[in-house]
Amino acid sequence: MTVVTLNNLTRRFDNVIAVNNLNLEVNDGELVAFLGPSGCGKTTTLRMITGLLLPSDGDVLFDGVSILTVPTEKRGAVMVFQKHLLFPTMSVAQNVGFGLKMQGLPQKEINMRVSEMLELIRLPGFETRRPHELSGGQQQRIALARALIVRPKVLLLDEPLANLDANLRLEMRELIRSLQHELEITSIFVTHDQEEAVMLADRIALMFDGELQQFAEPNAFYERPSTAQVANFFRNANLLKGKRVGNQVETALGTLTIDTDRVVQPDGEVLLTVRPEEINLIPDSAENIIYGEVLTQVYMGTYSQMQLEVDGNQWLVHGPANFDAQVGNKIPLQLPEPRIWLLPLERKLK
Amino acid sequence: MRWLRLVEKLRVPMMLFPSIAILVVLFGGGLLVGVGQSFGYFPVIGLDDFTFAYYGDILTDRGFFASLWLTFRIALISTFLSSVLAVACALVLRDKFRGSRFMTFVFQIAIPIPHLVAAAGIVLLVGQSGMLSRLMVALGLTQTPGDFPPIVYDRAGIAIILTFLWKEVPFIGIVVLAVLQGIGPQYEEIAQTLGANGWQRFRYVLLPLIMPGLLSTSIIVFAFVFANYEIPFLLGVKYPQTLPVMAFENYKDPDLALRPQAMAVSVVLAVIAIVLLVAYKQLAKYAIKT
Repeated sequence: MTVVTLNNLTRRFDNVIAVNNLNLEVNDGELVAFLGPSGCGKTTTLRMITGLLLPSDGDVLFDGVSILTVPTEKRGAVMVFQKHLLFPTMSVAQNVGFGLKMQGLPQKEINMRVSEMLELIRLPGFETRRPHELSGGQQQRIALARALIVRPKVLLLDEPLANLDANLRLEMRELIRSLQHELEITSIFVTHDQEEAVMLADRIALMFDGELQQFAEPNAFYERPSTAQVANFFRNANLLKGKRVGNQVETALGTLTIDTDRVVQPDGEVLLTVRPEEINLIPDSAENIIYGEVLTQVYMGTYSQMQLEVDGNQWLVHGPANFDAQVGNKIPLQLPEPRIWLLPLERKLK
Repeated sequence: MRWLRLVEKLRVPMMLFPSIAILVVLFGGGLLVGVGQSFGYFPVIGLDDFTFAYYGDILTDRGFFASLWLTFRIALISTFLSSVLAVACALVLRDKFRGSRFMTFVFQIAIPIPHLVAAAGIVLLVGQSGMLSRLMVALGLTQTPGDFPPIVYDRAGIAIILTFLWKEVPFIGIVVLAVLQGIGPQYEEIAQTLGANGWQRFRYVLLPLIMPGLLSTSIIVFAFVFANYEIPFLLGVKYPQTLPVMAFENYKDPDLALRPQAMAVSVVLAVIAIVLLVAYKQLAKYAIKT
């Protein structure tokens, strides 16, 4: 229904740059996550899309048309806040029907559509309840219904699951996903939880310090992170400095072979990385083996997690649950050729 | 052990005793004497027969009803206008802008100033020989200060209402401002993204949220204005007087025989005030619900 385009979007607060030169496009009906640590500019970006905040620079376009001059109430970009914030003076029906009432629809039609919407979010018959009589999860669903009922062009969710406990999160996640698919509303949600982003989003925009780091499908962040910082955010801190020459990387621990069809980093100084779960602790050949010293081992139930020292870097490796690594021992780590990924060398890293 | 428990039980009542005693003796005692006098029990001047005569006198007096209407009208208009202006001011002051803290300070400055001083200020400002009148002469808008409309000592009580506004707008305003600041901007932001324009956000989101605070302060203002003596005494005309002025005039009359009547007026004033306040509160509850 709506393609959202952000063009060089920038927002400064006094001397602080909250969002810096953001460029991305959210496709029609797509669910995109803005992911990043707190203070990275995610919510600021959402607010600029709604019009609650004006950009210092750049543009926001819906279907290719700039909407900067359109006031918030006419943009059709509806926001669901972190705190559910149902209007406390209104019943559930009044809350859900609020947007329709503002449009001046007849009460009869509002009532009908409110009932339909309550069915859709699986809270039928809740019309006369007051917000304080609802649980946190129910409040969140009502807040979602209140946003969806106006058939927004863009649905914006600011940490929609942050205030819910683990079970409710799961339930709510499923609900958001299924509703979003059913109604095909272009949606953007903000989160600091990478798991949430991975499970919900079609694509993830990872932001640090107001800058877009990587905008891609969830698996890319695991398999093809753009920088060491991105890899780190996705819980992969296994880094080893080296020098790429053709299909090989020379490291202090030996030369490793890489899959040239996969890596994109050109020849020269690089950082080599492999995810913890993809390292082979029981080598099947003499290829691509380096050694690391075991620092700790923790039994995790279905696997065992080891911390190792590899050329002065701390690595994390997942092995079989029954794997017995003696602390202090040096053990072989086989880095499968197709699993090795190369990152640009950043100066601050070893 | 038992006496220890007894002491424990009596601890709170004992601690409250001094203040309750003062209240009961001074306030309750005065009330009892007043009500007694209104029913004709005034042994000092030789009256000790219970009678409704004084109530009969005032309730058949047309002047009383003229006063009652004036009192009611002043209280109602003052309360309504104060509330509207207070909400408007609070809405402006809640936003942070250059000098907003200073503006808030100026807004509240009238609160500690006595009503008497406020009345004097109003006379100096809008009286026929006041600053506005002179300014208009100086600007050539009027010939003499006497051409300025008589706002002070007028039958409509405009100066009285102005004085109350000057005093009560900041009083209601700081309460509403505190409520608004507590609410924060998010409800309005949600409403705005849902398509509510400025007026709709105020009408459907903000107003219901500030209504409880606004109602309780406006009830206080109404009760205060309804029973206020000094402002209408200083700025009002001789006829009709407001009920509190009427009661006090009778009370301080050298003829002690007028005192039971003064008390009857005061009792009627109090009863009407209580009835109006209860009605107001019920109405308000209904208004909040719908």
